[in-house]
Amino acid sequence: MAADELMPSHRSHRTPKSGPTARKKSEQDKKKRGITVNKTPNFKAFGVKSARRAQRSKSRAAEKDQKRLHLPKIDRTFGEAPPFVVVVQGPPGVGKSLVIKSLVKDFTKQNVPEVRGPITIVQGKHKRFQFVECPNEVNAMVDCAKVADLALLVVDGSYGFEMETFEFLNIMQVHGFPKVMGVLTHLDKFNNVKKLRNTKHHLKHRFWTEIYSGAKLFYLSGLIHGKYSPREVHNLARFVSIITPQPLTWRTSHPYVLADRLEDVTPPENVQMDKKCDRNITLYGYLRGCNFKKGMKVHIAGVGDYSVAGVTALPDPCSLPSAGKRKGLRDRDKLFYAPMSGIGDLLYDKDAVYININDHQVQYSKTDDGKGEPTNKGKGRDVGEDLVKSLQNTKYSVDEKLDKTFINIFGKKTSASSETKLKAEDAYQSLPEGSDSESQSGDDEEDVVGNDSEIKQETEIHGGRLRRKAIFKQDLNEDDFEEADDVELDSYDPNIYGFKEADDVESDKNEVEDGGDDFASDSPDDEAGDYQIDDKDFGNISKWKAPLKEKARKKNPNLMQIVYGASGSSATPLINENHDISDDEESDDEDFFKPKGEQSKNLGGEWDVGYVNSEDCSKFVNYGYLKNWKEKEVCESIRDRFTTGDWSKAALRDKNLGTGGEGEDDELYGDFEDLETGEKHKSHVNMESGANENEDEDAEVVERDGNNPRSQANEPGYVDKLKEELEIIKQRNELEYNDLDEETRIELAGFRTGTYLRLEIHNVPYEMVEFFDPCHPILVGGIGFGEDNVGYMQARLKRHRWHKKVLKTRDPIIVSIGWRRYQTMPVYAIEDRNGRHRMLKYTPEHMHCLATFWGPLVPPNTGFVAFQNLSNNQAGFRITATSVVLEFNHQARIVKKIKMVGTPCKIKKKTAFIKDMFTSDLEIARFEGSSVRTVSGIRGQVKKAGKNMLDNKAEEGIARCTFEDQIHMSDMVFLRAWTTVEVPQFYNPLTTALQPRDKTWNGMKTFVELRRELNIPVPVNKDSLYKPIERKPKKFYPLKIPKSLQKDLPFTSKPKDIPKRKRASVDDKRAVIMEPKERKEHAIIQQFQLLQNYKMKKKKVTDQKKRKEYEAEKAKNEEINKKRRREERRDRYREEDKQKKKTRRSQD
Amino acid sequence: MGKTMKMRMKGSQNLRQRLLLSTLSSTPIVIDDIRADEMIPGLRPHEVNLLRLLEIVTDDAFVEVNETGTQLKYKPGIIMGGKNLVHTCSLSRSIGYYLEPLLLLGLFGKKPLSIRLKGITNDPRDPSVDTFRSTTLNIIKRFGVPAEDLELKIEARGVAPNGGGEILLTVPNVKTLSAVHWVEEGMVKKIRGITFSTRVTSDFEHSMRFAARGIFNNLLPDVHIFQDHRVGAQAGKSPGYGISLVAETTTGCYMSADTTVSCERPDETGELDVEKKERLPAEDTGVEVASWLLQEIEKGGVVDSTHQGLLFLLCALSEQDVSKVRVGTLSPYAVETLRNIMEFLGVKFVIKPDPLTGTVILKCTGSGLINLSRKLS
Repeated sequence: MAADELMPSHRSHRTPKSGPTARKKSEQDKKKRGITVNKTPNFKAFGVKSARRAQRSKSRAAEKDQKRLHLPKIDRTFGEAPPFVVVVQGPPGVGKSLVIKSLVKDFTKQNVPEVRGPITIVQGKHKRFQFVECPNEVNAMVDCAKVADLALLVVDGSYGFEMETFEFLNIMQVHGFPKVMGVLTHLDKFNNVKKLRNTKHHLKHRFWTEIYSGAKLFYLSGLIHGKYSPREVHNLARFVSIITPQPLTWRTSHPYVLADRLEDVTPPENVQMDKKCDRNITLYGYLRGCNFKKGMKVHIAGVGDYSVAGVTALPDPCSLPSAGKRKGLRDRDKLFYAPMSGIGDLLYDKDAVYININDHQVQYSKTDDGKGEPTNKGKGRDVGEDLVKSLQNTKYSVDEKLDKTFINIFGKKTSASSETKLKAEDAYQSLPEGSDSESQSGDDEEDVVGNDSEIKQETEIHGGRLRRKAIFKQDLNEDDFEEADDVELDSYDPNIYGFKEADDVESDKNEVEDGGDDFASDSPDDEAGDYQIDDKDFGNISKWKAPLKEKARKKNPNLMQIVYGASGSSATPLINENHDISDDEESDDEDFFKPKGEQSKNLGGEWDVGYVNSEDCSKFVNYGYLKNWKEKEVCESIRDRFTTGDWSKAALRDKNLGTGGEGEDDELYGDFEDLETGEKHKSHVNMESGANENEDEDAEVVERDGNNPRSQANEPGYVDKLKEELEIIKQRNELEYNDLDEETRIELAGFRTGTYLRLEIHNVPYEMVEFFDPCHPILVGGIGFGEDNVGYMQARLKRHRWHKKVLKTRDPIIVSIGWRRYQTMPVYAIEDRNGRHRMLKYTPEHMHCLATFWGPLVPPNTGFVAFQNLSNNQAGFRITATSVVLEFNHQARIVKKIKMVGTPCKIKKKTAFIKDMFTSDLEIARFEGSSVRTVSGIRGQVKKAGKNMLDNKAEEGIARCTFEDQIHMSDMVFLRAWTTVEVPQFYNPLTTALQPRDKTWNGMKTFVELRRELNIPVPVNKDSLYKPIERKPKKFYPLKIPKSLQKDLPFTSKPKDIPKRKRASVDDKRAVIMEPKERKEHAIIQQFQLLQNYKMKKKKVTDQKKRKEYEAEKAKNEEINKKRRREERRDRYREEDKQKKKTRRSQD
Repeated sequence: MGKTMKMRMKGSQNLRQRLLLSTLSSTPIVIDDIRADEMIPGLRPHEVNLLRLLEIVTDDAFVEVNETGTQLKYKPGIIMGGKNLVHTCSLSRSIGYYLEPLLLLGLFGKKPLSIRLKGITNDPRDPSVDTFRSTTLNIIKRFGVPAEDLELKIEARGVAPNGGGEILLTVPNVKTLSAVHWVEEGMVKKIRGITFSTRVTSDFEHSMRFAARGIFNNLLPDVHIFQDHRVGAQAGKSPGYGISLVAETTTGCYMSADTTVSCERPDETGELDVEKKERLPAEDTGVEVASWLLQEIEKGGVVDSTHQGLLFLLCALSEQDVSKVRVGTLSPYAVETLRNIMEFLGVKFVIKPDPLTGTVILKCTGSGLINLSRKLS
């Protein structure tokens, strides 16, 4: 009791009396008690009143329904999904790391001292998260946007949105928009509640306009003990954990790894010899996107393209808890993995364990070697110290030295004396190490070639450690294979399992007859005969099962080996490797000296063409002996392949997909219990009676397939059907490889998404290791077919409306496209109505235009974003343009206008010789037939070079043109044409990971920057300046009509020859005198007009005066009214407020 | 990046597939030692002609052949396709030789391909154009290629040695090929065929048809063999006759067999290595082809031996889903195809014999090749 009193009193549980919980409870209660309430719907309430409205609402509902639909995409990921990447982004000093720390604390109850690199945590039974903090730098932002599944945009509420947030949003929108949530921090800086509320409201709405209305914006109200309030963080964590990622096109078609660990595995000797030698590195991370095949090339963002030297799947460092029945997650399952954050000192690699020791805890005597010498000069050097230092200075390791000095007992033999020895050596050569043997190839080869010794020990320098490996077993793969080959050749029957030899007719015939019997009698024993080809080996029919199973097991790899040669593991990338197909001229004896792969290729070659220059014929003509199909029995043997035969047998043939099919179906139903034995057992069940069983199961599969995807049945049929199809494909993908072992599957389909991979990459510039900063994300993206080629790409580009300037053609821009970032020089163009791409000097201000640039190709429909300046101290908006790739081409067909100007040098009627337009006769030949025009609008055509028409001395480049009319010597002649514009073949990959991260990457400079730097003024073409136009009045000569024409003209049109008068004519000179009466009238009218004018003037003055008075009066009134109204309003509000307060008080 | 990674290979074998796969995967190749040790070294006329065809269909392709023709460097360009293209094929091989790579190239082009090929339409070494029409196109249609645009029209027939045939091929563009799950062979429900004769009497056709039908009559009533007797310009330049048979199963699989007999006098042809064979009577040709077809049916699988290579190629080029197909005994050409696919596309097949039926089941994950050159509309 005492203890109870000491505890703080908990609030007692309050049963909800209203709301959904209460309703549910009451329903359950009623059900329990057996009360059934049958609600009869009120029909009248939902009747249709207006037909039109009903129709409208129906169509609206249908429209909404259709809008909701998306074309279903296939999800090719199986098994455990990789951790969900949560990128936390925001301007500096806004509390990003604290958000991560708080979230990690909330999820795993762990404290993270500092956030460096991705932090992986297990959140639920099926969900993991990887938190990444986005550094405040454009390059990092770009890389983060490419990997983010969810972006938490942290915003300083007290300050408002900053440019970084919007830049990040824009980058994300271009690279496929992941889910976005906003987080407002620093809200404790407001001490005015009203202001806080207004700010929240304002920021929320601004956020909504940018993303979509209703986007989630979180408020973290303030710090408690330097942490966000746990309740708020918990809410945020819950919202984070329910978000599901959506598949984005680029990411689902490219594998990528967000590396959470980097190790330098260069042999230390090399580093010692040359500090700046190219390094070998290993990168670790979860595979995302799609399957990663061996031999794929990768792009490391900010470094470059590399072929992967070795890929291995490592055990998951942060694995999901094993499937149990517990509901929640146990505390010990809440794993946490942050290798770069400095938590946990133990790291596991493929073949090594790393122990992290802080640098300051280790003392290297080496370090003071260089500087220490002068200080040591005074005293004599210690012998021990000397010894240690000399040991540290060795260039070669002990084993290397040992390798070079060998004792030759038997003398060198170049030709092998016995096969066995060679075999042993072979085995030695191909140790099962995968990639490791590659990393130290030099030493090994020496061993194999020169050394006859039987020492079964291998030294290897790996991961900076010297490791000695004792070899106690023969290599399974290689040796077994060799033996298997021998066996195979004996026991392999070409008739059934694949390949037919032309001369092998006899057995063929037998076999077919056997088969015919089988189908007729249908007893298991007879069926056995079908398999049983080698009578020598498996003569006894009663024991048919045993060899059958073995054969079935053995045959599978054999056929693959025959086709692909060598053991499966050696089928590493053939791309980019010199691989020769063995020549046939070499004798058989020499086969032993060849690498394995080739030998087996030859084995395969025995039955097929094998000859490197064989004829390229796809048609199969080698039918060998033809059976006499006219005979009835022969025909009967294939009777069941025809509709006239036994349908059930044919169905059996189709249904029975070998031994593999059975296992697949089992696994669908989750029969995981002892797969090993179960499979074997079933494999012959299958043969006896498996057909029907399979049929049933198949039917069931289809049913299940159908039911799974559509839980809501009211979706429109088409989408539904598509979804169903995709679901079937997905299940098939999952099932088909189930019976294969892991290694083969990886070889066939690649590493599955969600595996933790170790990528080994060779010859990386040392700067990558030198300037490695764990805070910056390392993105490793796979490169698809043809994406490592370079070419021209055409994109639809729009200048970002927040970027202040238009972009200039051929000014370098930095684009982020696909995984890559590079600088390139685009040429902007616009498509005219006739399909011509006309060059633009500048991008349009508010319109899309085409941009053509040179760079590594990406598939059409890939978006990209362009920058001009990556520096952090730029005030404006850094994103200059957004764009999408339309197509790529080997050439860019962009043209610009060209106007060639010439002057006539000789005119002959309608023909004129134009000079100064062309520089050579060759050029004229190019333009023959093109149209020209004079300034006055006389049209013409270029005919030919006018050399031979003029005297022969005439200079080159004079063209003969004809016009529709004679032109003047003063005329200028124009030729308007289009000339192609070359797009510079320039692209410069951004190597931001190869320099200190705080330094801004410098690439090619724009014209403006260069001019500014070198203080060069903008060049001005004087001719382009506007000058005042001086126009002289044109003097026209009088019209002269030739006499011959005049003669024919009618009289009216004839020019009249009227002599000029010296004096004015009488009519002009005559004066007008009015009559007296008229004069009187005229005077009166004038007087009246005068009076009228005077009156009007007077009236106008008075009117103006009146109006002024009226205006003044009106203004006065208005003033008074305004005052009154304000008073009234004030009173009203006061009243209302009082009323409100009163009601509130009364409510309380 | 900047340096081009070239694949080096030897010999003239599978030149078509190598060029095709090199173009599709945009990997430059270098082939050395092309018939280096033979009497007539270097590339054959039809191979050179094939390179010409590639230059027509693609843009910016770079082909370099050394003086002796024993080395070939090929850097693929962008597959353009286009309308109203014309190509005159070499007379050393028939049009079927060119059609196989062309069909696949056309699918992954920038614009739909419509090309007129002139040369030999039917000859015994390559699948005839009739087989293409009846079988190959149907196989391709299974991979999600729009059926209405894929067409092959035989405008004129031409038989070796002088040719004179002409076909019009139209191939649509696809974004990707869809993976197939094609293991059910079904039962043969009908057999169709076509016989033709150029510059010879149609009696040959009649006797071939009669003989072939005689064999099928034991098995199936639904057998129709059509007749195509060409005269005048449509009959090409050489006399000959031939037959192409196709069996369709209940599940939409097609098996084909064809042959052609040229009636030209052998002394006119200058080639040395053509063995002077006694020409079989037309009846025997009919019986032979019918037997071939039955043998194909007996072998099983969803395609015949001739089309295995094509089937595997299509599977390997399809989306990144699992394809599963069943074929009869693997033909040497198919095995070579599998190897080439492995080299160029990195796609490996699981090959599993199905002992009960004597067929082979192959599974693979497609390479997910996307038609990169297609323009975004």
